[in-house]
Amino acid sequence: MSLKSYSRARAVHVMLVYTGGCNGCDIEIVNCIFSPKYDAEQYKIFLTWNPREADVLVVTGPVTAHNEKPLKAIYDAIPEPKAVIAAGACALMGGVYKNIHGDIPSEEICGPVDKIIPVDAKVPGCAVRPQDVLAGAVAALPKLLNAD
Amino acid sequence: MDEDNKITIGNSKNQIIETEVPMGTVHSAAIEPYRIRLFVEDEIVKDAEITIGVNHRGVERIMEGLPVEKANSLTEKICGICSNIHLWNSVLVAEKALEIEVPERAQYIRIIVAELERLQSHLLYLAHGNEVLGHETFSMRLFYIRETVSDLLCMIGGNRVQYGVPVIGGLRPRAELDQMRIQKLNEGMDLLEEKISNFAQRFVSDPMIMSRITGVGTLRKEDALKLATSGPTLRATGVEVDLRRDMKEYDPFEFEVITQDGGDVKSNLLVRVLESLESVKIIRQAANHLPEGNITNRSWDMQDAPITKSYVEAPRGKLYHSYALEDGRVRHSIVRTPSIANIGAMQYACIGCHITDAQLAVVQCDPCFTCTDRAIQIIRL
Repeated sequence: MSLKSYSRARAVHVMLVYTGGCNGCDIEIVNCIFSPKYDAEQYKIFLTWNPREADVLVVTGPVTAHNEKPLKAIYDAIPEPKAVIAAGACALMGGVYKNIHGDIPSEEICGPVDKIIPVDAKVPGCAVRPQDVLAGAVAALPKLLNAD
Repeated sequence: MDEDNKITIGNSKNQIIETEVPMGTVHSAAIEPYRIRLFVEDEIVKDAEITIGVNHRGVERIMEGLPVEKANSLTEKICGICSNIHLWNSVLVAEKALEIEVPERAQYIRIIVAELERLQSHLLYLAHGNEVLGHETFSMRLFYIRETVSDLLCMIGGNRVQYGVPVIGGLRPRAELDQMRIQKLNEGMDLLEEKISNFAQRFVSDPMIMSRITGVGTLRKEDALKLATSGPTLRATGVEVDLRRDMKEYDPFEFEVITQDGGDVKSNLLVRVLESLESVKIIRQAANHLPEGNITNRSWDMQDAPITKSYVEAPRGKLYHSYALEDGRVRHSIVRTPSIANIGAMQYACIGCHITDAQLAVVQCDPCFTCTDRAIQIIRL
């Protein structure tokens, strides 16, 4: 293991971006990192709100029309190597907001997330469970650690 | 504007304030996306403006034309923090319109779930508030206390966030409470009461926290009333209004309406702490005096109904749902969430604060912009 990946593995910074879901997934993700019960910080996974500091981008929500541009800008601001986790039913396929009409397109929803930015790991659930978010973060880690 | 109607804020709009600090829509200090513009003079906020609309998903438009059962379950996805109260209120509209009698046992279990949700919402608010204050230890402790509530909700509804307990006429069969669940509920309440009281004791006797939050982000009583603020934010200014007092579902239970006088961050936090203890009281009463009988009334027929309204007390304040029924489908759906009224309170609370306290002043009103982002039209008369 090179020095870079050795140090990277000891400070994985997760940034949470919220693109118009119902708040449920966001609470569970914050819960997963902050709450002493799941406590992702013990595995050196930290929550940050600064894209330039982040390694992993966690996206929740179906990406509303207003959020499409900021999401791209945030993705571009994160330095390489980076991994993206789409968390929750809305981020994976638009959730109830997109599909409940069947085939009628919705003007408000631009999602799912993988139409807008490349996604490395997908965490299903409505709302996602904290354990699953941890598993998703672990699944995305090899991309960061084997980057060089 | 005449003298009575004038709301006393520092700035009348013709005065030009040069420094503007915009934050958002995605900003590191705010979890939810919203935009706030702070107009600053000598680092003191003179005026604030909050803009929402980023999260607009058009839930009401999606509801339009759906079968009423499906539309009800969609209202649950309006908000992840207070999902049950949206569902309950939407179901209440249908029950009112179709004149369905709900079994008493179902009412009691609905109230247990609603109060558990109030507990988790208030604990989340306190945790988030303490995080914004900069006291991470308290924040972690509160997140840990909240896990107890989440587990109980998971036990009843089967999911940690969206539990989907009420259906038209009663409850989902999964939410039936047997002896074992009631025992677990009682144990959980004992644990919660102890932990919340411990936290409250630590919180009020911490001089550093108290000096940080006393007098910050003050919202005056007159302003709160003029802005039609609702819920704990209004009660923190000393107005004793609680919709639970008027709801017939809450008649069998004894609880107090908590008020505080200050209207500042301290009063807001304390109202939520004390209300959590009242919720524990209500849950205990409901769990220990649960009536026997059915949980679902299935003998009802679908018929057309005109627009029916329903108000309930959500964890954040007054929640309004209304729709009409046509061939079993929803028409003219309107949802009005408490945060839309409280946005005015947030703007007012910012005024006069130091700029570093502005975020705290917004958070003290318990914003939930996700709920709030729906079709909003302001008509000037």
